[in-house]
Amino acid sequence: MTPSAPAPTRAAARPPGRARPFAKAAAAAYRYRVYLLCTIIFAVMGAAAPHFLTPGNFSNVLKGTSTNLPAAVGFTIVLIAGQLDLSVGSAMTMGGILVMGLSPSLGWAGAFGVAVLCGLGLGLTNGLLVAKARINSFIVTLGTMIIVYNAMAIYCRGGTIPATTFALSDFLQRPVVDLDPRGAPPALLWLTLWLTPRNLVSLAVMAAAAVFLRRTPAGRGLHLMGGNPQAAWYSGLHVDRYVIGAFALSGLLAAVGGAVVAAGEAAGSLKLGENSLMTIVAAVIIGGTSMEGGKGTVVGTTVALVALTALINGLSCLGAGHEVQLVASGLVLALIILYDAYWLHRRQRRRGQRKDLLEELQARAASDPPAGRGSQGAPSAPGPGREGRSHG
Amino acid sequence: MTTRRTAAWAMAAMLGAIGGCRSEPAGRKAPADRAEALKQSLAVDVSGLKSADTQPLIIMDETPLQPPPRPADPLKLPEDDPLHWYDMEYAGWRGRKVNLPRSPGDGALGKRVICLRHMDHPYTTAYTRGMEKVAGACGIRLKTLTAGNADVNIQSQQVDQVVNERPDLVILFPVDATAVVPMLRKLNQAGVPIIASNLLPVDQGMPYVLTWTGPDDWGQFRMLAREFAKRMNHEGGYCIVRHMPGGSPFFSRTFSVVTELKKIAPRMKCFDMQTTLLEAEKTAQVVSGWITKYGAELKGIVSADDSGAQIGINEACRNAGREDIIRVAAGNSKVGMDFIKAGKLHGITYQSAEADGALPMKIAADWFNGKEDLKPVYYLPKHVITAKDVDQYMPAQW
Repeated sequence: MTPSAPAPTRAAARPPGRARPFAKAAAAAYRYRVYLLCTIIFAVMGAAAPHFLTPGNFSNVLKGTSTNLPAAVGFTIVLIAGQLDLSVGSAMTMGGILVMGLSPSLGWAGAFGVAVLCGLGLGLTNGLLVAKARINSFIVTLGTMIIVYNAMAIYCRGGTIPATTFALSDFLQRPVVDLDPRGAPPALLWLTLWLTPRNLVSLAVMAAAAVFLRRTPAGRGLHLMGGNPQAAWYSGLHVDRYVIGAFALSGLLAAVGGAVVAAGEAAGSLKLGENSLMTIVAAVIIGGTSMEGGKGTVVGTTVALVALTALINGLSCLGAGHEVQLVASGLVLALIILYDAYWLHRRQRRRGQRKDLLEELQARAASDPPAGRGSQGAPSAPGPGREGRSHG
Repeated sequence: MTTRRTAAWAMAAMLGAIGGCRSEPAGRKAPADRAEALKQSLAVDVSGLKSADTQPLIIMDETPLQPPPRPADPLKLPEDDPLHWYDMEYAGWRGRKVNLPRSPGDGALGKRVICLRHMDHPYTTAYTRGMEKVAGACGIRLKTLTAGNADVNIQSQQVDQVVNERPDLVILFPVDATAVVPMLRKLNQAGVPIIASNLLPVDQGMPYVLTWTGPDDWGQFRMLAREFAKRMNHEGGYCIVRHMPGGSPFFSRTFSVVTELKKIAPRMKCFDMQTTLLEAEKTAQVVSGWITKYGAELKGIVSADDSGAQIGINEACRNAGREDIIRVAAGNSKVGMDFIKAGKLHGITYQSAEADGALPMKIAADWFNGKEDLKPVYYLPKHVITAKDVDQYMPAQW
């Protein structure tokens, strides 16, 4: 029996190189899904939630985002490197408590320095244990998360350390361009109210990380290493150094974030980073960073964090309970993961069918003159008829 | 179709979440005339309202506030000296206030109040129920927000949200007694009137609030310590299961007992004190360890919680065959009261969750009605429930 040739598809009927317009739109929607999500959330909440689309509330959303942003950036870097860092929440707590606890004796600069160095030390410890001792990063960072949290509980004796003065807190939370909200035009308020030093520090961290990941050899090496450590090693990259560096950056950034939040809130508390981990993980995944490593952007993470914060804030404006807020964020995360999975499945199926190859073959068949039976010379592309005969 | 379908799902999920939101009750509309609005508001009587346990809803301790003189530096005193805790126990009693807004004096009817709660818990559910009863009776629109799982960062963001929304008053149930100070300051600077509730902020935060209402943890636990000492015959070793770190009960429910017992029962000795985050399993492990370590010398256990932690304590005592250990706890949940009836717990503090929520709303209504001479703190009455009177407090509120 002669196997039949594949039936001509709609794609085959179109001129080669022209994809369906909807497929293009779908691909664009998939590529920019986190931006789309953010836009939808702002649109829906703006329409439904009272007080949501106001300059003051926009500033609140960005303040909420900036709380977890440095740690989320660090987490993204570690995940791109193909590892996990569960200790980011504890590193935030450590940064916040140390900066508050040490500022009376060392001054703000000294306290910030020590807090950041401790974060770096924590990251280096994680990295060394993962890279050199070959312990799974999940286990290592789970351990350091617990150790650091409880060490901080001992340090602050279970309490909260307040700032001795509100000066730094006021500075960090006051807009750089301080306008009177009652007299200034709303457009100006939209532009300036969120420009606080606290938000700017987080944005600067994000921008620096984005440049590092996209524009430097080390950043590109991190992607290569996360995607395929063996290939990276064959390419001459020091894989261990990349792992250690990623963890060191993560610890450092989380401590910076915690220190800035604590200074802004004028209090260092054990609860500072306690609930941050889940939000950070959700934002990083929604932002498009692959759990497998090798792929992801800090800009995506930032937009996802803005989207999640806006969702929670909008529901809060609506008077929703905490449980409703959690359900909504969980649903968004689940939908994004499902969307990802479905898209991947579709792509793999398409690759399995080799549609591109079929299209190419059909295009050649259409353009080439029909080859005669038993013709000599260079073999021509197999047309459908000839293909059938050759299998006969 | 994928994108469309996913977008539709996302939209449906979001609309579902929005639909699931508790909408703010409309409340009764206030008359345009301020005098008439005030007259109608003053006519409202909430004294007859009852809690779910049939006790009166509006209750407060009328004992005058008479703090002892403050030591020069309380923190230099040893921890078992009651004056070491002066700034926590008598926070705000001296009544210094900063930039307090004036009462509008036009009645509570139609006013908008936001309550920021620390977390979702059966206690806070009953607390909110009590608050809603008074708000409903007074025609006040109430919106409640929860700071996640007692998350300081979320409460701080909600404070910003309140500043943005500008309600007529905010009732703030702090997540953390110290971390709440900058939040109170921010609200005060924005001109939003504040009543702090349940968790007493540290002294530095009290100038910014109109007043504070809630249980007298220090007083209650001194009373509980006296009951405990009586049942222990004023001698023997004991341990303390502490509250969660971060809040004032972490200290008050520990050191009120330690300092009081040192004074009235010097032959009683505190062997150990640990936090178990009020979790049953963790508490059972810690208490089992104590029973093993201290053996027959361990005669009593004080717990900062009569539900989760007490379940763990009772399980450990039962497993070790040490039902003779005297046990007292902070209450008064259904679990705790059932334990009292079963003879597995000997005393719990009376703390009506509904009254705890109703009192700040009653004070808010009074303030809207023009009452400005508020006391710096309003305590709920103190009482220790034992097997003798537990039936009076059934059914439990939470």
